[in-house]
Amino acid sequence: MNLLDIKNLTLEIDVAGQWVKALDKVNLVIFEGQIHALVGESGSGKSLIVKAIVGALPQRWRITADRMTWRGQNLLTMSASARRDLIRNDISVIFQNPKGSLDPLLTLGEQLKEIIPDSSCEAKWFWPSRSEKQRLAIELLHRVGIKDHDLCMRSYPHQISNDVCQKFMIAMALASEPKLIIADDPTRGMEITAKSQILKLLTRVNQVRKLSILFVSHDLLAISSMAHYMTVLYCGQSVESGNMLQLKKRALHPYTQALLDSAPSFRKDLPPKSTLSSLDGTIPTLQHLPTGCRLGPRCPRARRECVVVPAVRRVHEHYYSCHFPLHWDKI
Amino acid sequence: MNKVLLRYTNLVVLTLLVLSFFSFMLAYLFPGDVLANLSGVQQHDPANLEQLKARYQLDSNIFVQYWYYLMDLYRGDWGQSFSSGLPLYEEVARTLPASIELSTYALLVSFAVGLPLGFIAGLRHHRNTDYALLSMSVLGYSIPVFWLAMILILTFALQLGWFPLSGRISLLYEIPRVSGFILLDIVWSDVSNKSEVLLDAFRHLILPTLSIAAFTTTVILRITRRSVIETMNSDYIQAAYARGLNARQVLFRHGIRNAIMPILPLLAMQFTTLLTNAMIVEVIFSWPGIGNWLIQAIYQRDFPAIRVGMLAVSALVVIFTMTIDLGIRLIDPKKSKVERVAI
Repeated sequence: MNLLDIKNLTLEIDVAGQWVKALDKVNLVIFEGQIHALVGESGSGKSLIVKAIVGALPQRWRITADRMTWRGQNLLTMSASARRDLIRNDISVIFQNPKGSLDPLLTLGEQLKEIIPDSSCEAKWFWPSRSEKQRLAIELLHRVGIKDHDLCMRSYPHQISNDVCQKFMIAMALASEPKLIIADDPTRGMEITAKSQILKLLTRVNQVRKLSILFVSHDLLAISSMAHYMTVLYCGQSVESGNMLQLKKRALHPYTQALLDSAPSFRKDLPPKSTLSSLDGTIPTLQHLPTGCRLGPRCPRARRECVVVPAVRRVHEHYYSCHFPLHWDKI
Repeated sequence: MNKVLLRYTNLVVLTLLVLSFFSFMLAYLFPGDVLANLSGVQQHDPANLEQLKARYQLDSNIFVQYWYYLMDLYRGDWGQSFSSGLPLYEEVARTLPASIELSTYALLVSFAVGLPLGFIAGLRHHRNTDYALLSMSVLGYSIPVFWLAMILILTFALQLGWFPLSGRISLLYEIPRVSGFILLDIVWSDVSNKSEVLLDAFRHLILPTLSIAAFTTTVILRITRRSVIETMNSDYIQAAYARGLNARQVLFRHGIRNAIMPILPLLAMQFTTLLTNAMIVEVIFSWPGIGNWLIQAIYQRDFPAIRVGMLAVSALVVIFTMTIDLGIRLIDPKKSKVERVAI
């Protein structure tokens, strides 16, 4: 059963008086118990999708979608408070910058206990429910591998290191027992041991509790080891999505191929001291988006037809939008 | 924490020493006789003169003189006024509480009005409420305080007759001086018609308080508005929304503390402008405070009074701001010693 179903999500931003499509017809389907990776360069709108899902976008931006449902309920038409309740109960977000998303003036313990919903305590009175929340909070911290819970709950966000902070964010995300965790680049700027701990933690949470995870990152190496399904985003357009293994084995879209080629660990045949391949140019700014396929100016396979936005095509469970996909060469 | 306390005490002591040195130098810089400027005694009969010279050590070098001056200050022997001949220590002790009282009420009023309005403006950022409050604040910001005081007197005291024109309390009542703060004195005194006297003192307070508070309120409103806008746009507020807290919970649990914490020192700084404004307003309302007294002293070239009055006011400001700063420093968890917790 699919948890989150987004079809043709378009987000328009007012840039200096004219409306620019920051997200252009993005499709995203997340199934129960699945780790879904959302990959793209920085500036491709990954975080915007996350914010659009949880409704943390400014009011003045225009969001339209053919379909944006959470287990059959339409997210776009429901009232703000209903949506907040739903997000509080079912969706948790781990943000890019763990320190920035914690209140600097409250201790971690206070913030964690604030998140634990009253419904998860059996006791109804204030004092008993308080002590029960304390117990639940300690349990949560242990679950994410923080052993010294007292010290952690006593300290302020600026006093602990980044990776502990990120573990703490995961504990906060688990507090409401959600169905879906959205991890927005959770391993950003961490060294490799801390990173692997966080990734293992997320994988374990997925396996043990049947939680779905939307894993947003540009770290292909991390994603490929844990994700089941991947959506590649370029400049606000979803370029290709499909099963992780299939995608890695046979990418259909030139951008996905370029992305995979740019990570040396995916290329076993790479001779030493050879230049790493990368696409020319950089991701365009919002003010200067190309028409049609936005990869056009950088694409090695671009032709005249690419000024028209390509339609989404599918090969089994593998979706891509390109006029001249890679597998056509082989025919 | 002890280190912080030590540092602030050190700072206060040093600043006060510098201030006292300036006030001592004023005795030399003012026109006229140094001895007269220091002691306030103007008619010199020779025997008296010798005795005074010995007391202020005028024959020794300047640092010894300063040391004796400090000792005198510490003992409360601040010399006497040219004009009244009264000991200056008592004069200051009489007038300073009146000023502190007035400024405290004005500060409280401007906090009580400015902070909530600032929050409203910040939360209704870029909407009509915000614009209305901002334009009001520009108005309050640009009205000179003495002009506002005059207008208030004209409308409410002379035209409408709602409030008394000047002074602290009606001449009908005799309140013994205990603390120098009129409302406290009334409460502590044993006059029979206490509530009536309190009401009278209160009515005397309203106009001067309002005319001082107007400016400070607008400043506090603007500072608060800016800080609220900044705080509400920060990541952790957005994150709190994304965690499913509603707007009220976000504001009360995370917004208010974080918005006020960074601006507390700025708000405390307003006390200085407020005191300056209070001095002007005191003259207009004949409020028996230190500003009124000091300005009279300036008119009459009462050099010892100017010297001591300046010292008293600046010492008050220094001690007040430093205390507030210290308090903020101690309660702000962000400033507390960073311990990298290895968990």
